[in-house]
Amino acid sequence: MANTFKVTVNGGPELAVDATEGTLLEALEKHQLEMHYHCRSGFCGACRSTLKSGKVRYTTEPLAYVRKGDILPCCCVPESDLDIDH
Amino acid sequence: MSYSTFNQEQNNPLTEPMFLGNSVNVARYDQQKHSIFEKLIEKQISFFWRPEEIDVSRDRIDFNKLTASEKHVFISNLKYQTLLDSIQGRSPNIALLPIVSLPELETWIETWSFFETIHSRSYTHILRNLFSDPSEVFEDIVINEQIKIRANDISKYYDDLIFYTQLLQTHGEGDVVVEGKTHTVTQREIKKKLFLCINSVNALEAIRFYVSFACTFAFAERELMEGNAKIIKLIARDENVHLTSTQHILNLWQYGEDDPEMKEIAEELRDDAYEIFMTAVKQEKQWAHYLFKDGSMIGLNESMLCQYVEYIANLRMQAIGFDAPFENQRSNPLPWMNKYLVSDNVQVAPQESEITSYLVGQIDSEVNASDLGDFDL
Ligand code: FES
Ligand SMILES: [Fe+2]
Ligand SMILES: [Fe+2]
Repeated sequence: MANTFKVTVNGGPELAVDATEGTLLEALEKHQLEMHYHCRSGFCGACRSTLKSGKVRYTTEPLAYVRKGDILPCCCVPESDLDIDH
Repeated sequence: MSYSTFNQEQNNPLTEPMFLGNSVNVARYDQQKHSIFEKLIEKQISFFWRPEEIDVSRDRIDFNKLTASEKHVFISNLKYQTLLDSIQGRSPNIALLPIVSLPELETWIETWSFFETIHSRSYTHILRNLFSDPSEVFEDIVINEQIKIRANDISKYYDDLIFYTQLLQTHGEGDVVVEGKTHTVTQREIKKKLFLCINSVNALEAIRFYVSFACTFAFAERELMEGNAKIIKLIARDENVHLTSTQHILNLWQYGEDDPEMKEIAEELRDDAYEIFMTAVKQEKQWAHYLFKDGSMIGLNESMLCQYVEYIANLRMQAIGFDAPFENQRSNPLPWMNKYLVSDNVQVAPQESEITSYLVGQIDSEVNASDLGDFDL
């Protein structure tokens, strides 16, 4: 279970996300959240979200501009419990 | 002052600003001030495609089945896209290359503009298939009032920057009289024009195509004009890369990661930048109105398109540090759009089979035994 983290989106309930099963975007889609995306590979920035707390790891290097405090869920996985706005 | 195609001054491109420093001399990419542009070049080149690879022959049959108002939607969008790519296929080169100061950014601009010329060539490919003589369609682009309004709004920022750069590079700073009109040329004035120009281009790449994309993909949802949709899907993927580059330029400036004077200008002209974007939003909504003046199409109408423009505008504005202007349009009114905007996974070598551009040519050419009916082989 070391790879499963609790993720809160837009102040909603805690969702369990397994970091070994696909990207954060895919995981949140599995929880039936409406996610914003276009490219799903880190270059368009459409999935841009605010990371309020926690840490993520990029599985693909993002090419879209990532400001401090922003994350791109289409190309990262959680490395801790997360609190994000999307 | 005057532009040199090979600036002999020994300069260090790692300390140059993106624009209006020393002009680039050696095209070297072993070291980069802003390595993102080198990565965007690689990304864009990995997306290379040729319009001729896409079989659009079935679209001709579909086109003849469309209603008159649907034909108007389809052709008008193609005209508008032709205009946009006519501008984008040359203007980044003409406006930005004379003032760029980093080799990786210079090459990015050339790569970007080159891909816009592929887009332009693809419209000819589409139109040639639909009409034995597409001249009438092309000729209308410089006559059509709706298109002219947009053309003017896009090209004026480029033209202004180009003109002032020419004055700077021929006369230097100071007052210059041209045809009885005095122009005060300063480096800072040109930086302001550059800032407005990049904001206008950013708005173009960010939203100006999306009304048209939505119509194309709405046809494709009904299994109509699918050859065209395949081409537009490739164009949309490229446009997202272009957009990322203009967002990077704007953000590098405003967050103080490049030229400090550009940071000041970004603050000073923040309202103008906002206005440029919102004008583009307004014009896109008017375009949706123009498209559907004679009737809607199945699955899409003016109000859905306007909602979609607002939805996209929110994402795009946030990307360059503004608040979302349309608070009540936070969810996607056209969810099916996304499946056409997803990029294929291109982290693998370009020869791998899952890449669209290697598959596009063969998709429609398969023949089933049942297609032959009782034809005896
Ligand atoms: S969907 Fe394009 S960057 Fe995440
Ligand atoms: Fe284009
Ligand atoms: Fe573009």
